[in-house]
Amino acid sequence: MLRISRVLVAAAFTALLAMLPWRAAVAAEPVKIGLITALSGQSALAGQAISRGVQLAIDEINANGGVLGGRELVLVRRDDESNPAKGVVAARELIHKEKVAVLFGGLDTPVALAIVPLANQAKMPFMDPWAAGTPITKNGADPNFVFRVSAMDELVDVAMVEYAQKNFGSEKFGLLMINNPWGESNHKGLVAALDAKGMKPAGSEKFDGDAIDVVPQLTRLRDAGADTIALVGNVGPSAQVVKSLRRMGWDVPIVSHWGPAGGRFTELAGPGAEKVHFVQTYSFFGDQSPVGKKVIAALTDKYDDINGPADITPAVGVANAYDAMHLTALAIDNAGSTDGEAIREGYFEIDTYPGLIKTYKDPFSKEQHDALGPQDYVWAQFIDNRIVPVGLQD
Amino acid sequence: MKRLSIPAGLAVLVAALVMVFFLNSYYVYVLATVALVATVGVGLNVLLGLTGQISFGHVGFYAIGAYTVAILTSQAGWSFWPAWLAGALVATAAGLVLALPALRVKGPYLAMITIAFSFIVQHAIIEMDGLTGGQNGIMGIAAPVLGADWSIEQTVAVLALLTLAVSLLAYALLSRGTWGAAMRAVKDSETAAESVGLGPLVIKTVAFMVSAGLAGLAGGLFAPLAGFVTPDTFSFMQSILFVLVVIVGGAGSVIGPVIGAVILGVLPELLATLEAYRLLFFGGLLLVVLLVAPNGLIGLAKDLLAMVRRGDRPVRGAAPATAGAPSFSNRPRRGLSLSGLSMTFGGVRAVSDLSMTVPPAAVTSLIGPNGAGKTTVLNMVSGFYPPTGGHFSLGDRRLSAGRAFRIARHGVARTYQTSQLFDTLSVADNVALAGCRGRLGNLLGARRFLSTAVRQRAEALLAFCGYQGDLDVPASQLPHVDRRLVEIARALATDPDALLLDEPAAGLSREDTDRLAGLLRAIADAGVAVMVVEHDMELVMKVSDQVVVLDTGRLLAAGKPEQVRADPAVRRAYLGEDLDQARPVAERPPRTGPEWLGVNNLVAGYGAEPVLHGISLKVRQGEMVALLGANGAGKSTLMRTLAGLHPAQAGGVHLDGQALDKMPAEAIVRQGLVLVPEGRQVFPELSVQDNIRLGAFLCPGDREARLEEMFERFPRLRERRHQRAGLLSGGEQQMLAVARGLMSKPRVLLLDEPSLGLAPKIIDELFAALDQLRRENMTIVLVDQMAALALSLADRAYVIEGGRVMAEGSARDIAASPELADAYLGAG
Amino acid sequence: MDTQLVSALISGLGMGSMYGLMALGFYITFAVSGTVNFAQGSSMMLGAVLCYTFAQTLGWPIWLAVPVALALCALYGVLVERLAVRPFVRRGSDAWLMSTVALGIVLDNVVMHTFGKEPRSLPSSLAVSPVEVGGLGLGVYPLQLIIPLVGLALAAALHLVARRTRWGSALLATSQNRDAARLMGIPISRAVAGAFALSTVLAGVAGMLIAPLANVNSDMGTLFGLKAFSVAILGGITSAWGVMIAGLLFGLAESLIIMSLGSGYTHIITFGLVIVALALRPNGLFGRAEVKKV
Repeated sequence: MLRISRVLVAAAFTALLAMLPWRAAVAAEPVKIGLITALSGQSALAGQAISRGVQLAIDEINANGGVLGGRELVLVRRDDESNPAKGVVAARELIHKEKVAVLFGGLDTPVALAIVPLANQAKMPFMDPWAAGTPITKNGADPNFVFRVSAMDELVDVAMVEYAQKNFGSEKFGLLMINNPWGESNHKGLVAALDAKGMKPAGSEKFDGDAIDVVPQLTRLRDAGADTIALVGNVGPSAQVVKSLRRMGWDVPIVSHWGPAGGRFTELAGPGAEKVHFVQTYSFFGDQSPVGKKVIAALTDKYDDINGPADITPAVGVANAYDAMHLTALAIDNAGSTDGEAIREGYFEIDTYPGLIKTYKDPFSKEQHDALGPQDYVWAQFIDNRIVPVGLQD
Repeated sequence: MKRLSIPAGLAVLVAALVMVFFLNSYYVYVLATVALVATVGVGLNVLLGLTGQISFGHVGFYAIGAYTVAILTSQAGWSFWPAWLAGALVATAAGLVLALPALRVKGPYLAMITIAFSFIVQHAIIEMDGLTGGQNGIMGIAAPVLGADWSIEQTVAVLALLTLAVSLLAYALLSRGTWGAAMRAVKDSETAAESVGLGPLVIKTVAFMVSAGLAGLAGGLFAPLAGFVTPDTFSFMQSILFVLVVIVGGAGSVIGPVIGAVILGVLPELLATLEAYRLLFFGGLLLVVLLVAPNGLIGLAKDLLAMVRRGDRPVRGAAPATAGAPSFSNRPRRGLSLSGLSMTFGGVRAVSDLSMTVPPAAVTSLIGPNGAGKTTVLNMVSGFYPPTGGHFSLGDRRLSAGRAFRIARHGVARTYQTSQLFDTLSVADNVALAGCRGRLGNLLGARRFLSTAVRQRAEALLAFCGYQGDLDVPASQLPHVDRRLVEIARALATDPDALLLDEPAAGLSREDTDRLAGLLRAIADAGVAVMVVEHDMELVMKVSDQVVVLDTGRLLAAGKPEQVRADPAVRRAYLGEDLDQARPVAERPPRTGPEWLGVNNLVAGYGAEPVLHGISLKVRQGEMVALLGANGAGKSTLMRTLAGLHPAQAGGVHLDGQALDKMPAEAIVRQGLVLVPEGRQVFPELSVQDNIRLGAFLCPGDREARLEEMFERFPRLRERRHQRAGLLSGGEQQMLAVARGLMSKPRVLLLDEPSLGLAPKIIDELFAALDQLRRENMTIVLVDQMAALALSLADRAYVIEGGRVMAEGSARDIAASPELADAYLGAG
Repeated sequence: MDTQLVSALISGLGMGSMYGLMALGFYITFAVSGTVNFAQGSSMMLGAVLCYTFAQTLGWPIWLAVPVALALCALYGVLVERLAVRPFVRRGSDAWLMSTVALGIVLDNVVMHTFGKEPRSLPSSLAVSPVEVGGLGLGVYPLQLIIPLVGLALAAALHLVARRTRWGSALLATSQNRDAARLMGIPISRAVAGAFALSTVLAGVAGMLIAPLANVNSDMGTLFGLKAFSVAILGGITSAWGVMIAGLLFGLAESLIIMSLGSGYTHIITFGLVIVALALRPNGLFGRAEVKKV
């Protein structure tokens, strides 16, 4: 009996192994683009958005004849499980084994930071379409192989302070940060941004990703006299902040990093969700450029679960990754080869590219590895289930 | 096998080292990671495999090692090497600190403490951001330099492989040496370990520290390999992975963690192309691997090997059967003296103010009815229970109660009612380890355990105790008698002044008991102060120099055997008046009902050796049949086998023409064959009436009416109907067990030792109730120690000895037959 | 301060009773079979996800969605026992600890790929408009008041079922003496499967109750399950009421720490307290000290 069942299980095991989609050797010579992001766990949705943005761009590029005069682009994805150690192993695999031409990656700042030294050492262009940690691109390496098409925490934090001062006349900021690396990084950034204006936070609190009750932290901020809340947190926890505010009956302006854009914020937060004003690099709502219309159409066409702008979440992931991929293709073409150093130079040679977020003009230079700046940030809020630029609903 | 493994291991190591310089950096990195995880696995194996402790907190030690290296090299400017050493030391110290609370608890509680530890470490790292860089961690960690043109991965991979090789070697030495044996002993039985002088706490703490240190060592190498440390890297999931490495490979085997690490390190890489589906497949494959090899791949390999090799295992190393001189020194020994010893359990005085001496070179027997407090006295004198009053000394030396292993080291050895051997150790190892008397020597040493002198002494002691079996067989496979002998040899190996034995004759045949008597005499003649708690009066009277009688915790009488035997108070309290006069066995007309229960050539046993060698019985409807025989004759095994609690190896059981064999217990009950088990086995937390109601689980129809019926039959139970059954006296529990059995509407009622441990008055009451059942034509099979009593009720009887039916006949014939006297009552 | 305290007490009791419910699940399987589903957090997630799917995605009425979801939870519990526990217990292996974790990983990822990666919220009219309590200027969602009541009511119901019903007392009997239970004709393997089903249902209930307050997604239960395990251990895994009380204490401690020290130290202090409590009472706060049998 026992022996038979073991044989059966062993057979099932072998069958399972056989079913794995072992990648067959590729006949043509496509150019491989590596992507390391979270594909499971809490950040999986953002990872999916990045994947879709990159894939959409690749589809377009391949439809137009690929790069380097006819070579196809192929996306090779790896799951980093939001764990820096796993991200580094995946990066090594993509660089040394898969021999990708460009590495995309870094959803979570710690993962990106862990990959940066490796990329610079291996002379591998590393394109960051999401993680906003300042030292990712300002990493001190020379030559620096890291580029970014995304917001940068330091700049977002300054923008948050300025936006609140201008629109709400804020004088006393209460900082409410998620208890993770992202929150910690922005805590530093906000304190610095306030300091630059000769201000200090009225209070500073952390909250956990699985918190259901943020009343204690909010009460302390209110007692400390905060007139505005600067919020950094993923969509779920940010929604808990709105729910707790509702319980307290505290009507306070909230300026936020882009966390709420990561899901159905109104569904999660309930009434009051629209009070949160958050930064975006792009919104698929409102008037769209021709590129915007094309992208929405392509996404709706390609993915069953996308029926309109509301389903493109998080929008920044799709938009950043889409533009980053197109810029990268231009860089590869400029380089004329898949050599890392040449591609790095290729990024610098891009002059104008009409992208989704904006029309890029000389997006990268030796001193500037970030293609987006504060002037590109859009302030948005949720109206029903749509992310709408602030002021647009009037 | 063993001799081959070192060159083979070296070859693998060299091959791996060569690979470091020829593979691309990704593979080198994976190789280094696997080696590091394997090193943690080896450390965890010291806990899991040797001491049987679990830890889900090893990621904490790993993190401590990594962060120590990161902080010292990046902030304090240390070079790698001292920082590495410091990391391992800090982790070891953390192991010690965690061991203090962790080792007070067991099983799931221990798992929880270690889980909590890993969370605390991770969150402490986050909160101490001045030192640790908080959530974003530390970069810029100094890397070791070995060769000028080696990359960091190559350097760390070489170091990791060498570290792994050294840890494997250390593990192998530890595992075969004295400490390893002591750790296994603690895992098998902490109680027994203490009684041979091993301090379980120290041993487990050392294991914890070694284990933590290895994790720290690996963590210290991880920091430069990764080039950074962040709190996310050391998540709880990583701890689970470490435990998996040991379990998938096989806990307790040297190479197991390496195999586990290779699989768990390489599998995710093979699955990497699955992208988002990687974790899904990883979970699924893991489940499959665990199902295929629940005791690890090494365990699976061993099973398969055993399947191939079955049958041609050489028998070797039997102890020479020379009953030579005792191989412990003939030094003068000290006796025990107890003065005013008292023990109270929750307000109940189990022992009050007991003063007595156990002189050297003599056998002192401690007797008394069940519950008199005899075992409590042994437990106090051997240090397991701290007495609530009085004191005791060995010679002139006052022994402080408390830690049993200290008392054992002073020279008080003991055995247990149910033998407590170190089951995973061999017979010889059991005795050899005890010979250390708690002094284990250096951590990787083996001299005190494996040297020829130690082994010869162990063999001689085993031979002295009359053990004639295989020396290398694991103790778990020993038959009952041999367990007793090995346990006594093990106790003697500590070269004790005093030897305490708790019911050494329980379960032994008459013949074996006689040999035991000789052995006890010989031990006393060698100068040891022997103290025996025993129920077997024949043995007591034969072997004792002094008999001490306890009754309800008080000293009733003490003196020479014949004095005590003649003491009227003793006769009244202990022997019971009417046990001397045999009950009349009535002549009854033979029952003529149809054959109801038939047992045909039933074979059953534990392990390889059958206990029942083809038992056949016939019971007619309405008949009461007694099964008689000494302890260990196989009566209880027979009852359990009939009830389906124990699988039969061959033979058949029929009830009213319906075959019952191979049915599970619950189906057999449904057929109407109901066992009232030995030792009552009531549900202690349930009320009396709920206990009875449970008897009607299968036939709840007229449950409440039948409940009333039971209260009519056993009026004592009605008074206690709402009490928790665990609070009832032994006799009441027995009545409850019978009532519960009757609720199942039995067609045949099996009663296993209903009178065991009951006072004579209660026995009378109980047997009156059984007599009533018999008159109501209930078919009953009765097993009871009290042969005369059983025969006075039964229609017919079987005499069983050594798992075979020796005689059968009417109760009257059997009562008069010589077989009964021989098998049951002994030659006396 | 008073407002904060009241708020902390209410949310502490709410969370605590959910920990307690899940911990009761650990208790039940441990008592009956000596094993637990180490990935109980996944069971909780399953309850919430199924309830969301039926009530929201498929638009079933709630009176239909809840029982069907719970029935499927029970089925999953039986599956866990059959696939990840029984094969190991039968061969005397402790690897069920690991295999239940593996099965949990599988379930989490299956849900992630089918239910979606986006956190969702189960709408409930009980968690939209806060009601004022005691004029403290603080609102509380009605659900927050209901959760501890439901939790305690379920624990009490469980107690009654165990004492008053045939199968309930069969489970109790099995937990106290396996062999004797078999002699009563109680089919042990069904009792154990039943215990796992019940334990998964309890976790599922906790998941559903918490779903309107928290967010529903595939890893919502991971940390929750671990905390519930520590609650079960803290209570002394052999005492049902102890487990429930430990759940309330744990929840209260957690919210009081957040209230007074902020959330950074919550894990350090709560898990530190667990270690201290177990060091002082090795069988849990309410577990009975096992008599050292020698």
